[in-house]
This record gives sequence, C-alpha cells and structure tokens, in this order.
Amino acid sequence: MSAVLKINGTEKTFDEGIPSNLSELLTALEIDAATVVAEIDGKIIERKDFEKTALNETQSIELIRFVGGG
Amino acid sequence: MGLLKIADREFASRLFVGTGKFASNALMKEAIEASGTQMVTVALRRVDIENENDNMLAAIDRKRYQLLPNTSGARDANEAVRLSRLARAASGIAWIKLEVTPDPYYLLPDGEETLKAAKTLVEDGFIVLPYINADPILAKKLQDIGCATVMPLASPIGSNQGMKTKASIEIIIKQATVPVVVDAGLGAPSHAAEAMEMGADAVLVNTAIAAADDPVQMALAFKMATEAGRIAYETGLAPESQTASASSPLTGFLR
Repeated sequence: MSAVLKINGTEKTFDEGIPSNLSELLTALEIDAATVVAEIDGKIIERKDFEKTALNETQSIELIRFVGGG
Repeated sequence: MGLLKIADREFASRLFVGTGKFASNALMKEAIEASGTQMVTVALRRVDIENENDNMLAAIDRKRYQLLPNTSGARDANEAVRLSRLARAASGIAWIKLEVTPDPYYLLPDGEETLKAAKTLVEDGFIVLPYINADPILAKKLQDIGCATVMPLASPIGSNQGMKTKASIEIIIKQATVPVVVDAGLGAPSHAAEAMEMGADAVLVNTAIAAADDPVQMALAFKMATEAGRIAYETGLAPESQTASASSPLTGFLR
C-alpha cells in the first residue's frame, strides 16, 4: 500500500508503504545517515536514535546536512 | 605571532575561511590548506531528497580544521536558535557563528534578534560567535552576556568593499574583552592586513578567496596578509607625521 511522508516541505510517495524507521527512510532515499541530521515536528533526532524512530504520515520530517557557507 | 584564544581553544592562524562558493570540493580543500586556517565555516541546508547530495564534509579534515557552523538563512532569533541546535547535533560541537539576516538584499544583521538568540544560546552552553554590524554598543552587550567573540562586518557579505566600517571597528577593538573577528566584505588581502594592523584578533574570508580566478593562490595571499598585519600590530607601527622625515642622511651631499 502506498503512503506519503512529508519531507523537507514536500510530499514523497512510497509505493511499498512507509519505511519502518528513520534509518530505513534514509536507506530508501539513498542518503548516508552519517551526513545528515534529522528533525521531526520540530524535535531533533540524534543519529543514534534514527533506528528506533518510527515514522507516520502526520509528521513533518526535516533532513538537513552541511553545505559550503561563509 | 601570539596565539589566538577563543573559549578554550587556541589558534595559531588568525584567518578563518568560509567554504561557500567554491567551484569544487577539491578546490575548496586545496584553498583551505593554502590559507593555513584552523577554522572553517559551514552552513546547514535541507537535503535534496530527489538528487544525489554532495558530501562536502568529506573534503574537510576535522582533525586539522575546527568546524564553525553558521546560522545563515535565519531571519529571526527563533530560526537562529533552531539552526544552532541542528548544527550542534550535526557537528557534535557547540560552536556557532550566529547570524540573523532578515534582509536578503544587503544581508545586514538584525542586532536585536542576534542579541536575543545569543542570550538563549549562551545559556544553552553554546560557544557563540555573533556576526554583527559594526555597532560598538551591541558588541559590548554581546560580550557582556558571554559571547566568545564579536564579529563586526567590514562591509556587506560578499561585497568585497573592504573596511567601510573602519572607525566603528576601531571603537569595538578598543573596548573589547573578547576577540574581535572582522567578518564579511574583506575583498583583498590588503583589507585583511588593514584589519589586523588595527588590532583585530582575526579575520574571516570567504568570497574573496572562493571567487578569485585562482582560489588557492588567493588563499595564500590572504594568509600572508593576515600574518603581516598581525605582526605589524604586535610590533607597533612607526609614528605618522605631518611633515617629511628623511630616511637618508642629511649630511655629505655631493654639491
């Protein structure tokens, strides 16, 4: 069953259903967990907690990384 | 050249380098190396979930270069505090270059919101390096509440206009009890030297290096200028005078 997650202000459809946790979401998106920091509904999720953080369609998920800047 | 101490860290280099606008990570890496810097700034942005993301951190050896995440993009204190906490989670350190720039045209910092955010962040245990307009009163307030430095702008970010705020930065340096880092607008090595000769403790440069035809050579030029300015300041410049004072002997002329 397909499902939609709100990530970085846009809706992303997952045909196979919602990834079971934040760690799996990053795998599905092919993002290296070591390079990102996550925030769900305004709360920062530490990297060590990615695996135990469950996801659902009501959440607002932010995935953030470092880029060049002055 | 004396070491620069910020919070509990000592820096042999007084040039901080921004990592924005480089044509490639390889070029950025080489320029950072040539600059001799020990601290580089980085920004936080959303991951692009549809495309491959460039991992610029892979090009920065964190054993050699301390990261200084900034809060660029923050338009008020709340956004700056949020970005600071995300930066701490991402970097594992609590150092933050606090910048609150609501106006996208001149990117001038909002002093009131910066002070507000700084109070929250200092209380939260952050080492706060606030980017400010060259406002001596604000600089004093920020140092009084526990900021680790003050970082007055020389001219608008990325403008390369040099030391337009010189007179006010002189006052900030005079009354400072924390290091003064001149940030933004330094477009030429001579601008960096000028700031350092005046007694600034360090300078932060990004655009002038990254946007140069050869960023690696320009990084080297800024390194030398920053060092030259600092050594001159520590040595003390010879006095200025209104009239000439001959360098050659005034006797034994062949006339």
